[in-house]
Amino acid sequence: MGLLSGFIQKHGWRYIPGVVFLLISAYLQNLAPMYLGRVTDALREPEIDTRAVGELLALMMLTAAAVFAVRYTYRFFINGNGRNLEAYLRDKLFSHLQTMGPVFFHSHKTGDLMAYAVNDVNAVRQTFGPALALSVNAVSLTAIAVLNMAASVNGKLAAFALIPAPAVILVMLLLGGETRKRFKRVQEAFGAISDRVQENISGLRVIKAYVQESAESARFETLNHNARDANIKMARISAAMGPAVDLCFGISFTVSLLYGSSLVRGGSVSLGDFVAFNGYLALIVQPMRQVSRIINILSRGLASTKRLNAIIQTPAEIADRASVESRASGKKLNHAEIQIKNLCFSYPANHEKDAGNSEVKTDGAFQLRGVSVHIKPGGLLGILGRTGSGKTTLANLLARLYNPPDNTIFIDGTDANQLSLDELRAPMGYVPQDNFLFSASIEENIRFFDPRHTREEVEKAAERAAILKNIQDFPQGFDTQVGERGMSLSGGQKQRICIARALIKNPKLLILDDSLSAVDTRTEAEILDAVCAYKEKGASVVLIAHRISALSRCDEIVVLDKGEITERGTHEELLKRNGLYAAIANDQTKDGEE
Amino acid sequence: MRRLWPYLKHQRPLLLCGVALALLINGAELLKPYILKVVIDDFLVAGKADDGLYSVAALGIGYLLCVILGAGMNIAQTIAVNRMGQDTVLRIRREVFGHIQKLSMRALEKYTTGRLITRATNDVEGLNELFTDVLVHVIQDGLMLLGIAGMMFFINWKLALVAFATLPAIAVCTLIVRGKIRRNFVFVKSLTSRINGFFAENISGMRLVQIFRREREKYREFDELNERYRKVARTQVRLNSFLMPLMEVINTFGIALLIFYGMNGIMGSTLQIGVLYAFTNYIRQFFAPINDIAEKYTTVQSAAVSCERVFELLDDTGGVEDLSAGAALPRPKGLVEFQNVWFAYQEGDWVLKDISFTIQPGRSVAFVGPTGAGKTTIINLLTRFYDIQQGVIKIDGRDIREFKREDLRKQVSVVLQDVFLFSGSITENIRLGDHDIGDGDVERALDLAGARDFVAQLPYGISAPVAERGGTFSAGERQLLSFARAIAHDPAVFVLDEATAHIDTETERQIQRSLSAISNNRTTIIIAHRLSTIRGCDCIYVMRKGRIREQGTHAELLSLDGIYARLYRMDSEKKGLKLPQSQNTLLPNYRT
Repeated sequence: MGLLSGFIQKHGWRYIPGVVFLLISAYLQNLAPMYLGRVTDALREPEIDTRAVGELLALMMLTAAAVFAVRYTYRFFINGNGRNLEAYLRDKLFSHLQTMGPVFFHSHKTGDLMAYAVNDVNAVRQTFGPALALSVNAVSLTAIAVLNMAASVNGKLAAFALIPAPAVILVMLLLGGETRKRFKRVQEAFGAISDRVQENISGLRVIKAYVQESAESARFETLNHNARDANIKMARISAAMGPAVDLCFGISFTVSLLYGSSLVRGGSVSLGDFVAFNGYLALIVQPMRQVSRIINILSRGLASTKRLNAIIQTPAEIADRASVESRASGKKLNHAEIQIKNLCFSYPANHEKDAGNSEVKTDGAFQLRGVSVHIKPGGLLGILGRTGSGKTTLANLLARLYNPPDNTIFIDGTDANQLSLDELRAPMGYVPQDNFLFSASIEENIRFFDPRHTREEVEKAAERAAILKNIQDFPQGFDTQVGERGMSLSGGQKQRICIARALIKNPKLLILDDSLSAVDTRTEAEILDAVCAYKEKGASVVLIAHRISALSRCDEIVVLDKGEITERGTHEELLKRNGLYAAIANDQTKDGEE
Repeated sequence: MRRLWPYLKHQRPLLLCGVALALLINGAELLKPYILKVVIDDFLVAGKADDGLYSVAALGIGYLLCVILGAGMNIAQTIAVNRMGQDTVLRIRREVFGHIQKLSMRALEKYTTGRLITRATNDVEGLNELFTDVLVHVIQDGLMLLGIAGMMFFINWKLALVAFATLPAIAVCTLIVRGKIRRNFVFVKSLTSRINGFFAENISGMRLVQIFRREREKYREFDELNERYRKVARTQVRLNSFLMPLMEVINTFGIALLIFYGMNGIMGSTLQIGVLYAFTNYIRQFFAPINDIAEKYTTVQSAAVSCERVFELLDDTGGVEDLSAGAALPRPKGLVEFQNVWFAYQEGDWVLKDISFTIQPGRSVAFVGPTGAGKTTIINLLTRFYDIQQGVIKIDGRDIREFKREDLRKQVSVVLQDVFLFSGSITENIRLGDHDIGDGDVERALDLAGARDFVAQLPYGISAPVAERGGTFSAGERQLLSFARAIAHDPAVFVLDEATAHIDTETERQIQRSLSAISNNRTTIIIAHRLSTIRGCDCIYVMRKGRIREQGTHAELLSLDGIYARLYRMDSEKKGLKLPQSQNTLLPNYRT
């Protein structure tokens, strides 16, 4: 399987010494009942040879010590390798997810992906770690014990005593299937609880604002009861598993007791052999009891391997084209001139289906229709449009978060699809609509984990994004932790840090997707001044905004409506047209009509 | 762990039932080696003849009975104890969830989302494992240890003493290794949560990582974390591999010692072989529960940590808000007063300094000012998300601290800066838990919020599903829904906190029209950056660094020629607006 090949090449050899030591341990463990039998016989002699008994006991202890060493070693190799596998899989999953695009993340919720990283990786680890050791151990230990019972004690006794053994396997299989079904329900119940809790806690502010605390608790109670019932149902069946095995072996011991003692009385089997026989039988009980657990882990592990494999085999929808990869050297782009020619675009089919993206609903498939734009080096394009008119889609396509159709977007004359992602994105500064910060210091967030940017550059970018003073006012300055575990920032502060993150790259193309919404007019002006400074240096800027105050500085403004450009021109030209733009501009300056 | 006891006490019948069954099971288990002893000593060694019930066959059947009854009672016991455990987990989970609902904003800041989620899910689940995996066995195992010891002393106390000679060795080994396991386990647990946190965060922020081409850096960071985890996890494997096999070595040593000592007894005919054999069986039985407990040790460890964390949260009653303490607040007229209010999130760091203002019922006011001026804080105080340090806030002339929080919050609806949508339908998102809001009310609210058109276009209209956090809607659409939600709840005081930032101007106009429609009989407070959105307000407060610097109507503020006027002029100048004549009906107040 593709999933594991890399691991097997690197760490697979560890299984070989692991299994070898495991087999040795199975052999050694089978020596103990034999010694005990021999001791018993020795003790029955009228004149006990204390020396011989002493030697046997010494051998017994030596064997036990050897078993200890060997077991430790095989666990080290096999269970330890399970941990190696766990780390390997998590790494692999993580790096694969890094190649996945928005379409994938729309149809795979964060919680689901976390389940892959936690539950599935863990199930595979258990399969190729402890479960592997347990199953090899069970098979070899049982085989050797049965062989000993038949060969060194009495074949017929062994045959009779082991009659219930197949029943054990049958019971395991019967109960096992049902157990898995019920276990799945337990997991689903837990999953439902996790989802609800996660959502509830993230939205706690809203819940508090609308006094929904007790309503939420009541809603949660249903899930809570489901979880309890699922667990109890599971317990009912898993409770039967161990005792069922015990019952089967209890019958074996009874047979051994009845038939075995008659053999001892008849003199065909010595008391020592009888004792040894019971010892062998006892040796098998433990691994047999584990069979169901092993089957459980194995079946879950296999299912998880399949699931992980499916995820990892998902091809990256956004990747460098083969023609790009084969190209000898990277293209140096000035990345200043953008040409969009008659761009029509609709989101990929499964995106629409899975995410039910509201922006896709409009009559046809198309999200953008016949959009043509030309941004000259140093140009500033403004985009205005209603919610859902396709503005963000256009920005997404420029960053190639989705693949545009061929020959629609050209950057410095080259089709964007013919550029590598590095070539395309390296000179690009992008500020998304939702300002996302990572759990790290502000400095790291601005530098965005690129060690090449110095502290001075970070400060400069912060200054341009009009956030420097704010940051300096924090007690820890640039070292202030933000994100999940850090300080909570206001929407405007977050937004400006995101802008600084884009500016520090000295971008050749800067895309601001409604990124000035949470800042006041004065800050907006400061930031736009900084943006214009880049423009003067030859960078192209795409500015998506609702405020005319921001758009009025643009060289060209396009108005998008349902994916089509309905108006275009400079601020003055558009005002004269008396269209949507003028109406909005009027609205924003005019006093309330009331 | 002791904290669990009160919960178990509630389950006394089941607990007693479980203990009684455990006693019976152990009795059956203890009888089995004894039967073997009798068979070996009386029939196999001494060679006695069968005599009615005193026969190998009868003893064999007795043995079988022990087996069958033991198995049956075992099943019953497991089910009883499990039921008890599940009922307990149910209660704890309910308490944790309920507790989190009632945490104040201050407490929430302290705990962070991730930690609270872990408390309510993984930690409670840890307790669940404690009950399903451990408790079931612990009762039985503990009693079994006592039973075996008693049986051994009953049969031959000298031999019993010899058999227990290895106990100190077990105790010492266990203590040493356990200590190490516990210390290492803390690392395992904290690294696991860090890895998971990192993973989840990166999934959320993946788009940014990709656009900025930081995949390699993030991967390296992850790999480092993962590698550290691998190391401690492997240490865990080694420590675990050490303990259990070691137990078995000691076990064998114990048996050898026993036989060696018993040898003399047999030679002197004071001891029978069967007794010795029974003893070796008892020792093995004695070690089984110990091994069992050792096996579950990790679970117990992790459950102990979880338990501690869960109760730490539940014990922190200081962070809990009492929603229903205080006087009822029937629909107020909407007179809002702040009198010399001082407030700081962190002591000494005043965010609001001596704020006073009065909003007459039914009026609409706005707060403007740079980010960080304290505008949102005013809202947080009005809904008592935080309590003030000095001064007083009144609604209809009474201190808001006199009212029930739940009533207060029902009467003051805030459309928040960060919109949050729950998974479910649009209707559910607007109604939340309030079933007095009918479908008609929902439609009306959507209409007023200007969300009707886009909702109508969805496949199922107002029943359309909302994905996790409303991910399929644009930021603007989410804001409209959150606006509709506030309208539907029909508050006496309506607050918009930067709620129109992502909405296009046209839709915003629509909202403003509906706002004026719904603000007739209620007090409206607007916080906005866009000065255009607030011009119609009865009074505008200009805030800066925690103080109100200017106040008045739009026109008054302009003539004051202060901060507001400057902001406003900049707003217009930057736009460089030269509106065409035909539309130049603007700014009647401009020249007052």
